[in-house]
Amino acid sequence: MLFKDQLYFVRENMKKNKMRIFMTVLATAMGTAFLIVLASVAFGLHDTLIKDVLEQETVNQVQIYGKDDPNSQGITDEDIDYFQSLEHVRAVRKQSYLRQSPRVSLNGYETSPHTVAVDMGALETGGTPLEDGRYATSSDEVVVGYHFYEQLLKEDTDPEDMYDENGERIDDTLYQGAVIGETIDLTVSRLINETDTEEKTYQVTIVGVTAEPANEWQQDQTLYTTFDFYQSVSEYTGTPGGELYFQEEPMDLTFYYDEVTIQSNNLENIQTLTKTINDEGYYGYSVASELKQINMLFTIAKAGLIFIGAIAVIIASIGIFNTMTMAVTERAPDIGIMKAIGASPKTIKQIFLLESSIIGIMGATIGTLVSYLISFLVNIGLPMILEAVFEEQLPDGFQFSSIPWTLVIIAYTICLLVTLISGSRPAKKATKIDVLSALRREL
Amino acid sequence: MIEVKQLSHQFELGKKDKKTVIPVLQDVSFSVTKGEIVTLVGRSGSGKSTLLHLIGGFLPRQSGAITINGTDVSNFTEAQFAEFRLGTIGFIFQNFQLIQSMTAYQNVELPLILQGVSETARKIQALETLEKVGLKGFEHHYPSELSGGQQQRVSVARALVLNPLIILADEPTGSLDSETEEDLLHLIKELNDSLDITFLIITHDDEVAKIGHRSLMMHDGALIDQEVK
Repeated sequence: MLFKDQLYFVRENMKKNKMRIFMTVLATAMGTAFLIVLASVAFGLHDTLIKDVLEQETVNQVQIYGKDDPNSQGITDEDIDYFQSLEHVRAVRKQSYLRQSPRVSLNGYETSPHTVAVDMGALETGGTPLEDGRYATSSDEVVVGYHFYEQLLKEDTDPEDMYDENGERIDDTLYQGAVIGETIDLTVSRLINETDTEEKTYQVTIVGVTAEPANEWQQDQTLYTTFDFYQSVSEYTGTPGGELYFQEEPMDLTFYYDEVTIQSNNLENIQTLTKTINDEGYYGYSVASELKQINMLFTIAKAGLIFIGAIAVIIASIGIFNTMTMAVTERAPDIGIMKAIGASPKTIKQIFLLESSIIGIMGATIGTLVSYLISFLVNIGLPMILEAVFEEQLPDGFQFSSIPWTLVIIAYTICLLVTLISGSRPAKKATKIDVLSALRREL
Repeated sequence: MIEVKQLSHQFELGKKDKKTVIPVLQDVSFSVTKGEIVTLVGRSGSGKSTLLHLIGGFLPRQSGAITINGTDVSNFTEAQFAEFRLGTIGFIFQNFQLIQSMTAYQNVELPLILQGVSETARKIQALETLEKVGLKGFEHHYPSELSGGQQQRVSVARALVLNPLIILADEPTGSLDSETEEDLLHLIKELNDSLDITFLIITHDDEVAKIGHRSLMMHDGALIDQEVK
């Protein structure tokens, strides 16, 4: 029997009991929609979280914190050369923290910023763009962070007068002028004996301001200097990085990098790169490895929700079993005639399995379409409801429900499998119909 | 064409501990040659229907052997018999056994569908067969819209459509009046003459028995006599 004819038979049979078929398809569609919508929450939240992580500029970076070597004091230029020789490396950004916060004076405003010596070239290629100006090219030039100006305070400002009753910074207390092109006095201290200090002031020019960080909660108030400046401070204080520490004997001023960030040319290679570096004995960390844990957590959540959703489909399958059993009982005389003519048990079974599969496919298709509609409405409506009821605004790009094609495939597979199982017993029953008994019923 | 050897059959009635065994066929042997019309006559309960059902494969054989067109079908499974039946044997039943939700054309088309014949080819074959049995113009009538004689003609057309070698008929005129019975017997004779189809007909009607080349008489599950015409 041709498949086309089997389909014709099924269609004709389904037409005979439209209402019953409709109700069965409806139950299956509801089960499938429940499964998809339920699981789509895990998919939606996962997508949102992943998107959030991927938006961080640190996502395709491996941060190196040191080396697993007792003789090693830190990361040296030799190590940097090794990192640069690795595959998939786009840039190696290295930095060393000044061990004291120098005092900065700018037109009557003062601050003591966190100061970092960086490789300006790598800063440029390593994804730290400038909002304005240019990168520093000599030891008397610096770049400041986007929020640097916010911490500049007038010399006589009382910290209590800086904020209003709502905790907002009062505009008058902020530095108002442009910072680019301004020359600042950078004063560093050193201990000349156990208790006394003396200071040295460097005059440096602000030549650039970094771009605003990607996330609102990130603050960049750093003062970026060159390694030459860093070395110059080390030589003045006689301690590495200008640390306020007194020692009679001259200290070893060998230069080490405190932090090295390796940027990969591709997010997909980040895990390979991290593994290579860690295998070589370095302490490397990448946000991407956190992604692995997030993915694992959400995979478990998705599987759990799909399992709960599948129960709804299984409940709907009771309807299919009932419908198919009734169909077999009602059509027993026709089945008897077909068998008497020469229909094989296999053909009879195929027709009934096809019918239950079609019910399953119709249910899954309608359920999927309804799920997309629900998902769409939830993504639009939920932020509005949350805003209206709780006065909470969800972050931009927040997705409560997401239905990827893989979820649709999973739902279809579960639905089809369950309908085939529930249809198989009635189909088997149809093949067992005794021709003579069926023909006698026809009388 | 049909060879039955020492065929015996019994029905078991009742539950396990109170089982009653009723023998219906006892050591039946006969053969039917190609192109022959053989009628099986006997009273009700003589075992003629059981014999036909065993030959048609509707009942599992218990003992003895059945050979049809040189093929030993004695040990065929249900699926094997179904396939064999489709291409070799046609059936005519007393109560026509037409599918009520299908038109005359669809009922005749059914065996062709089961055999996997293409739509175009089966349309030609089904219409030709309906014309052959005198039902041209009744293709789209449902069984309920046809007379008893017309329904039996549809049943004959359905049995004929795959050009079977044998047609097994179980009381084919049992539900017909004398006039339509005559028409049907005339049709059977005509088909036998023109297509050389072998007929094995169960009947207790003398008029039907007359058209056969041979009549086999059954009594209490055994063949007791035969009449050659």
